[in-house]
Amino acid sequence: MSQQQRIPRRTVLKGLGTAIALPLLDCMLPRAVRGAIVPRPVAPTRMAFLYIPNGVHMPDWTPTSTGGDFELPASLQPITPHKDHLLVLSGLAQDKARANGDGPGDHARALSTFLTGCQAYKTNGANIRVGVSVDQVAAQKIGHRTRFPSLELGCDRGAQSGNCDSGYSCAYSSNISWRTPTTPMAKEIDPRLVFERLFGGDRKDETEKVRGNRQLYRKSVLDFVGDDAKSLRARLGGADRRKLDEYLVGVREVEQRIAHAESNAAQELPKYARPDGIPKAYQEHIRLMCDLQVLAFQGDLTRVSTFIFANDGSNRSYAFMEVPEGHHDLSHHGGDKQKQAKIAKINHFHVSQLAYLVERMKQVPEGEGTLLDHAMVAYGSGIGDGNRHNHDQLPILLLGKGSGGLKSGRHLLYEKETPLNNLWLSMLDRMEANTEHLGDATGRLDGLSG
Amino acid sequence: MILRPLRISIVPALLGLLCALASAAIAGADEPVPGKSAPEKTGLEQQPGDKPPVAPANAVAATDTFAHRVQPFLAQHCYDCHSGKEPKGSLDLKVFGDAAAVGKDRDTWAKIVEYLEGEVMPPEDQPRPKKQDVEAVTTWVSDELAKLDNSGRRDPGRVTIRRLNRAEYNNTIRDLLGIDFRPADDFPSDDVGYGFDSIGDVLSMPPLLLEKYLAAAEQIVERAILVPQGPKRETIHTSSKELLPADVGERRRGARWLNSNGELYADVQLTAGEAALRVKASGEQAGDKPVRIVLRVDGKDLKKFSVNAKSADPEVYEAKFDSPGGKHRVSAAFFNEYHNPDEPDPKKRDRSLSVNFIDVDGFVEFDPLSLPESHKRIIFRQPKSADPKSPATPEEQDACAREIFARFATRAYRRPANDGEIDRLMRLARLAREQGDPFEKGIQLALEAVLVSPHFLFRVELDGEAIVDDEVGGQAETGEATKTITDAVRPLSDYQLASRLSYFLWSSMPDEELFALAAAGQLSKDGNLEAQTKRLLADKKSQALVDNFASQWLQIRNLSLASPSRQQFPDFDEPLRRAMQKETEMFFESVVREDRSVLDFLDADYTFVNERLAKHYGIADIKGDEFRRVTLSDPRRRGILTQASVLTITSNPTRTSPVKRGRWILEQILGTPPPPPPPDIPELEQVKLSGSLRQKMEQHRANPSCATCHARMDPLGFGLENFDAIGAWREKDGEFAIDPSGTLPGGKTFAGPAELRTILKGRHEQFCRNLARKLLTYALGRGLEPTDNHAVSQIVAAVEADGYKFSTLVVEIAKSEPFQLRRDLGAEP
Repeated sequence: MSQQQRIPRRTVLKGLGTAIALPLLDCMLPRAVRGAIVPRPVAPTRMAFLYIPNGVHMPDWTPTSTGGDFELPASLQPITPHKDHLLVLSGLAQDKARANGDGPGDHARALSTFLTGCQAYKTNGANIRVGVSVDQVAAQKIGHRTRFPSLELGCDRGAQSGNCDSGYSCAYSSNISWRTPTTPMAKEIDPRLVFERLFGGDRKDETEKVRGNRQLYRKSVLDFVGDDAKSLRARLGGADRRKLDEYLVGVREVEQRIAHAESNAAQELPKYARPDGIPKAYQEHIRLMCDLQVLAFQGDLTRVSTFIFANDGSNRSYAFMEVPEGHHDLSHHGGDKQKQAKIAKINHFHVSQLAYLVERMKQVPEGEGTLLDHAMVAYGSGIGDGNRHNHDQLPILLLGKGSGGLKSGRHLLYEKETPLNNLWLSMLDRMEANTEHLGDATGRLDGLSG
Repeated sequence: MILRPLRISIVPALLGLLCALASAAIAGADEPVPGKSAPEKTGLEQQPGDKPPVAPANAVAATDTFAHRVQPFLAQHCYDCHSGKEPKGSLDLKVFGDAAAVGKDRDTWAKIVEYLEGEVMPPEDQPRPKKQDVEAVTTWVSDELAKLDNSGRRDPGRVTIRRLNRAEYNNTIRDLLGIDFRPADDFPSDDVGYGFDSIGDVLSMPPLLLEKYLAAAEQIVERAILVPQGPKRETIHTSSKELLPADVGERRRGARWLNSNGELYADVQLTAGEAALRVKASGEQAGDKPVRIVLRVDGKDLKKFSVNAKSADPEVYEAKFDSPGGKHRVSAAFFNEYHNPDEPDPKKRDRSLSVNFIDVDGFVEFDPLSLPESHKRIIFRQPKSADPKSPATPEEQDACAREIFARFATRAYRRPANDGEIDRLMRLARLAREQGDPFEKGIQLALEAVLVSPHFLFRVELDGEAIVDDEVGGQAETGEATKTITDAVRPLSDYQLASRLSYFLWSSMPDEELFALAAAGQLSKDGNLEAQTKRLLADKKSQALVDNFASQWLQIRNLSLASPSRQQFPDFDEPLRRAMQKETEMFFESVVREDRSVLDFLDADYTFVNERLAKHYGIADIKGDEFRRVTLSDPRRRGILTQASVLTITSNPTRTSPVKRGRWILEQILGTPPPPPPPDIPELEQVKLSGSLRQKMEQHRANPSCATCHARMDPLGFGLENFDAIGAWREKDGEFAIDPSGTLPGGKTFAGPAELRTILKGRHEQFCRNLARKLLTYALGRGLEPTDNHAVSQIVAAVEADGYKFSTLVVEIAKSEPFQLRRDLGAEP
């Protein structure tokens, strides 16, 4: 059956490069200048954050030499065709993922700290708190320029029951993106729903008048519920009030979306077969999510995305490639060579999917180059070695040229304990979303531009 | 909340304080004082503002005992590890300098009692304290804890405003609008806290969700309410089955076959306008001419066609016509039959026509009879107009809309909607009218706003709402923040109570009967609450307890994620996965429906199986997919512990995990979770482990830093080793014979699963307390605090006194203070 599902995607990919390259550039312009002769706009810079769980087998990951002349170790082999777009960043640490007095719970911390660089407050439920994540900083600074400030994707649902990790609420082990320190951004895991969200907004058979009324009605409903929320908020205290704040943020965001849709041309439906749910095959699932990110970037529907391959602590079985054991179970390899080899195999598989995404981006022409030239794709885990649960020496890759902001094709080795958040700050600079403080960042990361 | 900072240290503290199952006996420690009757609401003499519970006279005695018996004991047996710069498990016992310390960290002291009584501490390699010394300490601490639980400050807590979770949203929409359509299935999953997805603090509201709520509301109102329009273009489809006359032609392969001349027709009702007739057909050719048909309307020929399409690939033949309006008979007739019995090829002897369907595309008048039930229920008053051709007057429309909104919003908000709220909804209705849309569109729009309003999406328990309720439909500005609320703790209003009950047992909104009682202010009166609780439990909607409580308590929601290795467990497939889940659901449901003892969860001698699962269990003579109840004769497999669902979710894909199974029992059954594993698990590479899984684990446990906790978890799991990673019985694990015996901390031994279960059943008080805690957490939507211990003890005592009946557990929870009361804003805990 996966055969059957594979066909539509392939067909679709043929259209990927061409279908929506033009509307992208056009709809970026304010309405006033559209139609007039304007200078050729430059493609915007995009950022994506891809997360893999449970660390990696580092001996097969870290290149032995640094600088521009380095060999790709076994786990990074799939990325070979894109080596000139690759930065391997070694030595970075995410200190706040460590216990720092809070005891066990490394998986929950690894994920929730990865993009925030903040210590997660240890709680099973009450007072969840970590910090704002780098993607959301970007979303808040430049998100208004696109229909969706950011896109949150994953392959696993949040846990359905039970404790997630040693006294940490499941909110920590399934959310990487945090709008505020207390509001995780829920992720979408069904490719069909992502597609409908991105492209399904308007109905074709509507007249201008009906469409106009619909927008007017939507706005009045938002006004109504916004007023409800404000007056209710005034009558509540503490934690209740925070919930209403979250609600109001949502209202504002949808209002902005409507305003954005009004001042921009209707989004053209890409020549891409509408996904019909979550594919059985894991690889297929990941690749659909990659395609959707490319489509969203290509149509400038968003410039920021996060994508969790699997929640941290995932015990997923990779039986389809002869690794039937659970990933988490394996990651506590206790030095067992066979187990390490299997972990490396899983790492290799994940990197292959990254290579797929990068290849797709390369196929989208933009200006003088491609989408990949205007992108920064960060890829990695908040755990180094799954057996040790260490949060330094993290496996981190950065792909793309960042609109010229990155000098890629190199392996950079940073001093021990260099905060991963320094990388995030540097990426924000290249998004015109620069900020001075982000979690435990101590400054910018040196050497990215060469 | 004063406990919060202290609690952070507890978790790591337990790391060092290793383990004991035998501790079960301690559960008696925080027992309620026997004979003490349930408190009445007015019995809350001790207000949250009041200061410490321990009477001064006692305080002297307590200090005495602490100084003379407890502290010396700690000094002799505990301080070595649990004090100093880096105390084991981050637990420094020296900080507890006097008797009052017990009150400052009740959770830790309860654990100390648990571990001492269970002989987990001091660890095995240390000198054993004298039995009477241990008893003196545990008795004193238990008494102190009991005093705090029973006479201490009681705080019903303040549940954070709860967003409807996915299940609750679906059910509420179903009950509010009467349409079964599960929009929340497309919502992002709700985060889980304290083991459940109904926890107010954890149910966040990310922007994506608000977007989904808006889209869902639009779809819901469009389904629930029809906006009447002028004649609409529609396709009237008549399948080959429905074509008339019924006896003409042969029915085969989804078509009607005519071997000789004949006509198939359908009757349709149209209004004036252009129409099209479409016939999907194919032919079997014979002779020198193709199959010919004519399409007719009311007996008049419209157009003739040669049907060259083959039956594998029929084509549509279309002709247009103008309808003056009215009834039409549309037909397709076969008119050039051909028979040649002499033809050598039998396939070419008969010419025949096959018809798949007849469609008519035309204008259709809006049919008021086609209105969905939900439409008629919501718009129970239709604006009347003097002239049926024109809409009713704006005044009449407004009068109707007002009534409709008052009824709908009151149900949606689960409390009377006030005038101010209805005025604002009226504005939306008028907006639609001003845009030239019909009355129903205005209703749709206002309802859409109600369905996205925080008053609908959140279960709000406003302070001072009790006052509002007394004046149904009363003044607009009620319960404003300006109103000073003096009582720190108050009973919930009847409306709030109705919602707590219905969401607890149905995961949905209250029904008419609950609303009526709430409106009359009668729900909390006399025996009404108990009667209503029992009524809700008996209703089939209490299936929600199975779907939402049981599936999370037993963690079988995780079954969908289990991925047993197909190589090692070729028997595992989707039908088996579904059967496992179904068994546990039906089993839980039977305890609810038959109001059985909750102890049956541990060792009932029956379960539910279909053929697939029976085969998996080795039960003979069960045929078919239907589930049926079977009596279990084998004492080894009884109760939830040995159901395949539980055994599978507590295994790894390629093997069983005695650790996970042990932990599951400690957490879900006994409520004494082991501390989480330490962050730096030592590497085992130096030691080559060998032998069976059990032997390897025992070698592993030789490591002292692992030993104490695993001594608690592993034996429980070993007792279940005869069940493989998908719950099938086995005598051997690979080449190794299974040894299912075990020794629990404290020395209790068992020979296999049946005896292990007997030991667990002996801990009925502890099991019952744990179940009560889980169900109370689920019912309240918040984690429990030490201030809830008293209520839990009362619930457990009542359940024990009544033969452990499930309904008693539910009723006692509904009657408990944390469920009935609420601490108001501004009142200090």
